[in-house]
Amino acid sequence: MIYLLVSVVLLALAALLLYNSLIRKKNDVENAFASVDVMLKRRYDLIPALVEAVKGYMNYERDILVKITALRANALSDNISNEERVVIENQIRQKLSDILVAVENYPDLKANQNVLKLQGAINETEEQLSASRRAFNAAVTIFNNSVEVFPSNILAAMMGFRRRTLFEIPESQKARPDVSPVTSSR
Amino acid sequence: MSQLKNFREYYETTLRPELEIIDNEKRKVNRRVITIISITITSVVLELLLIPSGSMLKVTLPMITAFAGFVTTDILSKSSRKEFKNKIISKITGFLDEGLTYNPDGLIPLPEFLKSEIFQLSCDSYAGEDHFKGKIGKTDIEFCEINAKHKNTSSSGSSQKDEYVSIFSGLFIIADFNKNFRTRTIVLPDTAEKLFGKFGQTLQSISMGRGKLVRLEDPVFEKEFCVYGDDQVEARYILTPALMERIVAFKRKWNKRISLSFIDSKVYLAINMNKNLFETRIFRPVADYSFIEENLRFLILLTEIVEDLNLNTRIWTKE
Repeated sequence: MIYLLVSVVLLALAALLLYNSLIRKKNDVENAFASVDVMLKRRYDLIPALVEAVKGYMNYERDILVKITALRANALSDNISNEERVVIENQIRQKLSDILVAVENYPDLKANQNVLKLQGAINETEEQLSASRRAFNAAVTIFNNSVEVFPSNILAAMMGFRRRTLFEIPESQKARPDVSPVTSSR
Repeated sequence: MSQLKNFREYYETTLRPELEIIDNEKRKVNRRVITIISITITSVVLELLLIPSGSMLKVTLPMITAFAGFVTTDILSKSSRKEFKNKIISKITGFLDEGLTYNPDGLIPLPEFLKSEIFQLSCDSYAGEDHFKGKIGKTDIEFCEINAKHKNTSSSGSSQKDEYVSIFSGLFIIADFNKNFRTRTIVLPDTAEKLFGKFGQTLQSISMGRGKLVRLEDPVFEKEFCVYGDDQVEARYILTPALMERIVAFKRKWNKRISLSFIDSKVYLAINMNKNLFETRIFRPVADYSFIEENLRFLILLTEIVEDLNLNTRIWTKE
């Protein structure tokens, strides 16, 4: 009888520990996702400032500026799916990079302190964004392992936890090229 | 390596005359040292033979004589070493980079060494020399040789015994990092995973107050190092895939035990080494091109750290 009681207590204790660990891992994933969101918002805030700073100079790239403004408005609207959002974010990243490369063709812009500051802020946000995506992926990998590996998978199934999808880190971000040689010294 | 090409000329015109003076001095000093050693030995022997046994002097006088002889030879032999460091190493430093200064007796202050949080044992003996400091490109950097020890006190019965164990011996470097950050990230050599494999990974999670274990996605880097940090995102903001590759390449280039920490927007680097650097040679002349070039090459290797870790690239908000 005493053995049965001890076994039940031990099992309950193990289940409790597993439960806590699963909850902690789920919260880590949510925290990591929130930090990606913070960085995306920072990126949205920088776009109008950049467009404003360069539009007076850029005559040939006006369509990029129009497109990026439209993309930003789309990304901020509520009625888009997650997949659509990912596509839009990738396009925004590409357009931002295009604008920063185009700045190279305008000596006045290259020397403009405001533009230089914005370039730094954009590079910084992109680097932070890439870091928070990698942190999210690391948290998701740990979470997914717990959801699939025995014995935590039993509890996870009971709690309705499912595998989460990883962010795809674009190849270009894995070894990020320096987008602005202007301020880099070598 | 353009410096190496011009170095021959610099050596012939500027360094060689001074090196020859140092060598002349060294020869004189060596002769004096030999004389002092001979006199000391003879005196000790004579004192032992002539002083009658039973007298206190029979023990104390030879000891005092031997000690005096040792101190005098030590002072004499240090003089040429000082000349070499003050004149030659200083000039080599200036030749390599005008922004770099050299202080033979200087060292990175203990609080800065402790701030790196790489070493956790308390530091009870701290010494160092060959302090270089300056700006390479946009990056402030300083480095020196450090020898830090921890005191272990063991008591058996009523007697206490102090034993000093080495915490670190080698090169310690502090450089300005190219990004701003607020939290700590510490990169240590991964002994646990190498020794115990999967079980080692579990051991790694015990961080000893250095924040949480940060698992990074680069398998080569993960095999070599183990990372702890206060913030998972900021640790990855610092350790980008590109920087991880650079750190692995740096480790292979030096082939030494290397630890890093990123604190207060600075990078701290500890390279374990047993060699005493930038020293003269006792029995061989210093006016030897290959010997002097070796010193320059080593200094180049050290200043290349800025390049190796890409610290001069300032495309983020830090200027």
